[in-house]
Amino acid sequence: MKEEKNSDYLIIENLVKYFGDDRAVDGISFAISEGKFLTLLGPSGCGKTTTLMCIAGLHKPDSGEIRVGGKSFTSLNENIFLEPEKRDIGMVFQSYAIWPHMTVEKNISYPLEIRNFESSEIEDRVMEVARLVGLDDMVGKDATQLSGGQQQRAALARAIVCNPSLLLFDEPLSNLDLKLRERMRLELKRIQNEVGITSVYVTHDQAEALVMSDDIIVMSKGKIEQSGGPHSIYARPVNRYVSNFIGVANLLKGKISSVSKTGLSEINISQDGKNILMPCVLDDKKFREGDNAVLSIRPENVYALREKPEGTAIEGEVIQTVFLGNYIDCRVQWGKFEWKVQAHPRERLKKGDHVYIRLDSNHSMAVLP
Amino acid sequence: MKNTTTTIQPNIEPQSRWRGYITTENIVTSLTSLIIFVAIILPLFWLVVSSFEVLDDMGFDTEWGLGNYYEVFQGRVIRKAFFNTLMISTGTTVLATFLGVLLAWINARTNCPWRDKIEPFNLIPFFLSPFVGAIAWHNLAAPKVGFLNNIARAIFGIESHIMNVDNIFGVIWVTGIFFTPLVYLFVVGSLRRMDPSLEDSARTTGASLFRTTMSVTLPLVTPAILSGAIIVFVTSAGEFGVPFKLGAPYGWDTLTTQIYSKAVGDDANHYLGAAMSMTLAAITGVLIWIQRRIIAPREYTTVTGKGFRPNTIDLGRWKWVALGVNLFYIFVAVVLPLICLLIVSFHPVWEGRIIPADLTLWNYKKILFFWSPESIGIATRGIINSFILAFSGATIAMILSILISYMIHRTKGFGSTMLDFLCVIPIGFPGIVLAMGVLVTYIKTPIYATLGILLVGYITRFFPYGQRNISSIMLAISEELDQSSRMAGASWLTTLRRITIPLLKPGIFAGWILLFVIFLRELSISIILYSVGTETLSVGVLYLADFEGDPLTAALAIVQTIILLGCIVLFRKVAGKEALTA
Repeated sequence: MKEEKNSDYLIIENLVKYFGDDRAVDGISFAISEGKFLTLLGPSGCGKTTTLMCIAGLHKPDSGEIRVGGKSFTSLNENIFLEPEKRDIGMVFQSYAIWPHMTVEKNISYPLEIRNFESSEIEDRVMEVARLVGLDDMVGKDATQLSGGQQQRAALARAIVCNPSLLLFDEPLSNLDLKLRERMRLELKRIQNEVGITSVYVTHDQAEALVMSDDIIVMSKGKIEQSGGPHSIYARPVNRYVSNFIGVANLLKGKISSVSKTGLSEINISQDGKNILMPCVLDDKKFREGDNAVLSIRPENVYALREKPEGTAIEGEVIQTVFLGNYIDCRVQWGKFEWKVQAHPRERLKKGDHVYIRLDSNHSMAVLP
Repeated sequence: MKNTTTTIQPNIEPQSRWRGYITTENIVTSLTSLIIFVAIILPLFWLVVSSFEVLDDMGFDTEWGLGNYYEVFQGRVIRKAFFNTLMISTGTTVLATFLGVLLAWINARTNCPWRDKIEPFNLIPFFLSPFVGAIAWHNLAAPKVGFLNNIARAIFGIESHIMNVDNIFGVIWVTGIFFTPLVYLFVVGSLRRMDPSLEDSARTTGASLFRTTMSVTLPLVTPAILSGAIIVFVTSAGEFGVPFKLGAPYGWDTLTTQIYSKAVGDDANHYLGAAMSMTLAAITGVLIWIQRRIIAPREYTTVTGKGFRPNTIDLGRWKWVALGVNLFYIFVAVVLPLICLLIVSFHPVWEGRIIPADLTLWNYKKILFFWSPESIGIATRGIINSFILAFSGATIAMILSILISYMIHRTKGFGSTMLDFLCVIPIGFPGIVLAMGVLVTYIKTPIYATLGILLVGYITRFFPYGQRNISSIMLAISEELDQSSRMAGASWLTTLRRITIPLLKPGIFAGWILLFVIFLRELSISIILYSVGTETLSVGVLYLADFEGDPLTAALAIVQTIILLGCIVLFRKVAGKEALTA
């Protein structure tokens, strides 16, 4: 029973938001459990930020419902629209939105002052969150003296200082440099874990999504393409779009030639006038024989071998190798198709080498085109 | 992710259908919109109506028709005034824009020496009255009594004069140098707020300093330049004082001087005045419309929440030329006119020469010592009235400006578009035109012949100046700064009070000072709407110029100027350096 209630902490139902005639958010629904970290992932213009703004109450949706912890924030059917300040949400903006006319301390304490906390308690809370985000020696400074990363931390401190019911992030790391971004990913995740506030995070950076999230929703053109945990989204993409957007994939068009309920099915790939049957995994996708499909294989599940393996042989020529330390990013030309292969450095593949491609059929996914 | 419909319930407060719309935000903004709408539309409506009423030959009855417009385009005098207006405005705009952009660039972007000391002086002409400038330049360069001409005759022994400002060129010259700061203010703010890396990146592509300035800097501030230029055009088309002093008496009438004579002269004809006003407003209105079309899509958000340090360009030896240009401007626009007025004001009678034996303070006694029986009431009253009007007018107008800017930039939909449009209208209508509208609208209400009608006229005409000041900053401030306050739990009003307004503070101060000063020296609205007892400072100056001699006029002009200069000094202290340059 408790589990049941938990899994519906934030509920979005049939959310629609127009900008002019443009359906920015096109009837999406999802829910997350309390304390979880959900990421809305997609390219710019996919509706992820608009969705976030609707949750925040900064945009009023055209239809749909938003509920948090059993409380209705927005329900167009019942004419409920809670003002943003009444939603008890902490939010970190893309530009951090640190108020330049205040000190760091004033920035962080603002939500507490609004809620009329005692000044001694304000001081304690501010120091506590400042320590949590690693800004304890900066609180007396003017906001304008902070670096980008520090502004980021201050914005986070301000968002969590009064223990909101929900934490929203609008691409908060996109203005930071790579090193800092990678560090802040883990830091943000650590802090979110520590405070345990349910979070919705918007980003276009798939690495960020994979590192930080409990759940990922991949969006495109205002609709949800796929939702699930980072691992399943990466390993079991449902369609070509998700497969291509998350990580790197070899994508080959084909037709399903045989469907197996228990083992591996087969897909018919036609390449340069030749037809090759390849084993693949269908998952629970409802493919029938003859359906159009796309074969999706991650580069780490593709092997470039010098000796001819058993079964169907795919012959190619190495056209590019990039040494990346722990592996070699290798391109193998096969007719018109270019295989992306992650090879082990000890294979010592060189440009011009003649190789055979072998696929790990347990990770060869047939996905929707 | 399933079974999402069952577990809702608890804290849902029942809400009536309309409750969502009755928020503080909506109430305040709707009320403000209504006030603005009525204040702007009503006078214009009555102006349009009256312009189609034709006065019959007897001057008693009117009938509907296009006679007034026929008179405007076919009548010899008015048609000439029409073309004079166009020529003066064009000339003024060219002069003021050239000087304004040049000076703004020198002060904001170069290493011109002592620019931090000089900068405040560039703005002084803007705070002074162009009408006073015209009086000063008349005293300086009228062919016979002009001080400079007299000096030239004494030095070179020539018979005639070396310069003459009692003509269209004099009008352009004085209006141009006095409106230069309008362009300057627009452009200098834009230049200061510009991200210097935009210029730096152009330099790194190999573009020279000159090329960078032409291809990056200027295009980026083009909206500001165009705004400034159009404001200058519209303002000079509606300028009354300068042509009244330097043009009209010498055969160079403009539409404004003609409107004035139709409004209060012996051959008063409000209906013909309204038609002339409409013609003038049509030109300026179209211009403002063009400005919106060109500028609106080109508004750049040049700042974000992050701070920028504008960098300066090393001019090398040219910096001394830049300094020279700047000093020359200050000399002709401020120093020379003021010295001349001071000298004149110490003489009982002015004949174009300094007579040391006659120097006296008598003139100042007559216009300042209101308790003395010899004082001139219209001058002393004017000082007090103008202070009352300027203080209350600027305060009310700025409150309206903040609310309106907020609505335009932070709310969406039809309301904000309409407001944005409404705020442009008064800019498109010269003061004297709007004053005609206000006159015909409120003539039968109790506020007629009180300071109230002047206040309404002032605010209606000039609040967009304050509003633009705020809007430009609001455009530059990320909306996320407001939104994050709402997310922190602050209501709309609290956010306005604690975040929006403090962030806008430089703009609010700048706008308030702008309006205070504009109101303190306002002439073209006052001249139409004043009555006995509600004269303003500038009306006093005009009265003295008409009915008393140059020295008394100069004395009151100096008093007005000193008050205005005092305001600048005072507010620079109160508001800090930001206020005048933001």
